[in-house]
Amino acid sequence: MVRRLALSILAAVLLATSAFAATARTQAEPLTIYAAASLTDVFRSLDPGQRYSFAGSNTLETQIKNGAPADIFASAAPLNTQRLFKAGLVDKPVTFTANRLTLIVPRSNPADIHSVYDLRRKPVKLVIAGPAVPVGGYTRTVLRKMGLTSVLSKVVSQETDVRAVTGKVALGQADAGFVYVTDARAVSDQVTAIRIPAWAQPRVRYEIAVVSKSTKKAAAQAWIKTLLSAKGQAALKSFGFLPLPKAPS
Amino acid sequence: MNRRRFLIGTLGAGAVTLGAPWLASAGAATDDELAFANFGLSSEFLLKDFYAKALEAKLATGVVRGDLRRGRSASAQHAKALTGLLTGAGETPAAEEDFAFVWPEKTFATLSSATTTGLVILRGVLGAYQSAAATVSEPSYRVLYTSLAASIAQQIGALAAASGKAGSESFPAALDLETASAALENYLG
Repeated sequence: MVRRLALSILAAVLLATSAFAATARTQAEPLTIYAAASLTDVFRSLDPGQRYSFAGSNTLETQIKNGAPADIFASAAPLNTQRLFKAGLVDKPVTFTANRLTLIVPRSNPADIHSVYDLRRKPVKLVIAGPAVPVGGYTRTVLRKMGLTSVLSKVVSQETDVRAVTGKVALGQADAGFVYVTDARAVSDQVTAIRIPAWAQPRVRYEIAVVSKSTKKAAAQAWIKTLLSAKGQAALKSFGFLPLPKAPS
Repeated sequence: MNRRRFLIGTLGAGAVTLGAPWLASAGAATDDELAFANFGLSSEFLLKDFYAKALEAKLATGVVRGDLRRGRSASAQHAKALTGLLTGAGETPAAEEDFAFVWPEKTFATLSSATTTGLVILRGVLGAYQSAAATVSEPSYRVLYTSLAASIAQQIGALAAASGKAGSESFPAALDLETASAALENYLG
């Protein structure tokens, strides 16, 4: 099963990598891509030839506002890209993928957590991202939707991005943490993922845009086009991202 | 009174007149009350999809088909009411397109298989609405949840009759959200 999954990821990534490589042949210099921390593995695998800066989308938004020399901005929440768009700092953003949240606990599960509701019942050291970080905002939405905001009193640390939350739980420095399903997958040998019910899931949408001041706009647009293509979408799916959301009926 | 307050007051009064008093008090919702509304809304979307698929599969004619149509209409109206409650409370309610419902193979192969699945879902939803009606503090919300529970109970009766199964229980169990959620988890996706 694990072997089959690894092979399907490899096949999807190889296909997408060849598509990105074709785009790259027309570029003299690599693009500078600012992307949400949760995109680290998938973007690096898809196109190792570009320059990346991965962090919380709110941090990257601030850096672009302050004139950071990015060509592309990929955010884990529409709020960050839309604010920059309104300020004229990026071109019109497009949605390119979606994700879901999950609760993770260390494999040893010292706090004996088996359901999100256990967070209310048991003493627990919970780690989440700060409220301005997309995954931090989504975490608070989940807790509010489930009537569990009281568990925020058990938060021992608020991190600057999802990778930091994942790392703390994987290393056993916390009993539980909220992360994206894709981040949990990346450390599945160290953590156990506990499902969050579909009715409590926030609407996690990723947006991407060309930075207005980019001097490589044509290459940046081509890169985004490849990401939106069937090959790009297949590669995202192989890392556990969800397909482009359906349009409202 | 400024124009905005006047409009909010007028809309609230209108909702009461139209028989939706919960809209007027939506701002007072607690966490738990909103949790029931979020679960209820998703469940109503699930039920609407269930009825639509059962109708599409042409599993029944006559009275039973009419019951399936009424069930679909009730789900849509319930979803609208719960969306109104959540929006009024300043929340972003879920939309149908947020879900990819999962129906086990052959769910809609026969009327019997469809009603079996439908009854599982309806009983989970009824249990949650009963708990909501018993625990929420806001009287207008209790009106809504009691009314929703009564409608779901009617739907249980109709589906049970269609399948020839016993539908009536003296004291259907109220379910906490965790239990109700677990009962529907396989279908909600």
